[in-house]
Amino acid sequence: MAEIVLGIGGIGATNTKGATLKTYALGSCIAVVILDPQTRTVGMVHVALPDSAIKPEKVATLPGYFADTGIPALFEQMKRCGTKGPQGLIVKLAGGAQIMDQNNTFNIGKRNALAAKKILWSFGLAPVAEDLGDNYSRTVTLATDTGIMTLSSPGKPNWHI
Amino acid sequence: MEKKTLNKEVLAAVRHVPLLSVAAARILDLTAQVDHTLADVMAVAKNDAALTARLLKIVNSPVYGLLEPATSLERAISYLGENLVVSLVLEDTIGAYLNKPLPGYGGGSGDLWRHDLRTAIAAKEIALINRDRCPPDVAFTGGLLHDIGKSILSEFLKDGYQEILAELAEKEVVDFVGGERDLLGIDHAQVGYELARTWGLPEVMQMVIRHHHEPSLAPEDLKPVVYAVHLGDIIAMMGGYGTGTDNLFYRLDQRYTDYLVVGPEQMGMLMLTVEEKFNETVETLQMR
Repeated sequence: MAEIVLGIGGIGATNTKGATLKTYALGSCIAVVILDPQTRTVGMVHVALPDSAIKPEKVATLPGYFADTGIPALFEQMKRCGTKGPQGLIVKLAGGAQIMDQNNTFNIGKRNALAAKKILWSFGLAPVAEDLGDNYSRTVTLATDTGIMTLSSPGKPNWHI
Repeated sequence: MEKKTLNKEVLAAVRHVPLLSVAAARILDLTAQVDHTLADVMAVAKNDAALTARLLKIVNSPVYGLLEPATSLERAISYLGENLVVSLVLEDTIGAYLNKPLPGYGGGSGDLWRHDLRTAIAAKEIALINRDRCPPDVAFTGGLLHDIGKSILSEFLKDGYQEILAELAEKEVVDFVGGERDLLGIDHAQVGYELARTWGLPEVMQMVIRHHHEPSLAPEDLKPVVYAVHLGDIIAMMGGYGTGTDNLFYRLDQRYTDYLVVGPEQMGMLMLTVEEKFNETVETLQMR
């Protein structure tokens, strides 16, 4: 079965039967997952930072690195698999972990999640499920056939959202 | 088993670790000195035939795209730079420890080395912003070595991480190192420190390893570099390069602001720079 592995900033979309999308070890990064029940297309982007303004020249080579450019780029990839528009799409989010710190000094994870939600809202979408924050890293696997999003983390049994 | 017995067993394991090679010990000594030069590193490396051959092979790999092959060690080292030379020296001499799987942390082969390299690059970037008080090359080497204790403690931790995760969930311990101490009577920073002493590493490296989770306990003059590695470690974990079951269960010491200038707004750019430099370094190191 085809397994498409996304690195940091990677974007993937597929409607191939039996295929899976996977991204490893999200720390403060987040995975934005989009499911299109109409065309049975699944898509995922591994976002590292909230805003491309920090280094605009990186967008040309790796738009998925940033929430503001990664999510529109994911829609574009899904369109190539037949997805028509944002209407009816199902969104899920995972990741955004942080170090133990009551003051949230380096809150990149939280900012990534907020930025992703803001971009999604601009498309009229909101996540139906999310597993965000806390102090553990997450690996995300997305199965095309079932649309099930499986999460794993070292030392924990797998779970789904 | 009693914590005290385990503690003794761990320390006995440290005493059985082979010593560093002469070249590695000399190079680590040199890089801990603030006023050393690349020429000093070269003088040590040229006495090690295997290291010289390896450096030449790497510098002549396609990654560097040299028009004419480098045939001298001087040229090779000036192209590669000190940090890469130190990384190679460490990988050659203690690679068995840096690359081995960490079953007690659920980490695979190479996870520790990638985490260490990422920490080293991040610690150096932080030191570069604070170079008036924090020597970047010392921060880099400290980053490479900071978690070496995990390679020993992992054997003793075994499935104990489950207990630590449960203790964390119940808030019986405040972080993963606290869990290690609770379970085994010793944590990976202390084990690393004992290993560093056994190897005769310079004091600054011993202190970085010992205090990287509690930098406020380091000697005052070494605090900037220990804090740089502390933050570098956090950047590596946030970037998804942890070592396994310990995840991000470590505390940020807020007092870093007394010693280093790293604003929360700089964190994004730091993470991006670290990511890019890490990818470059990994590409180079794999070209053997």
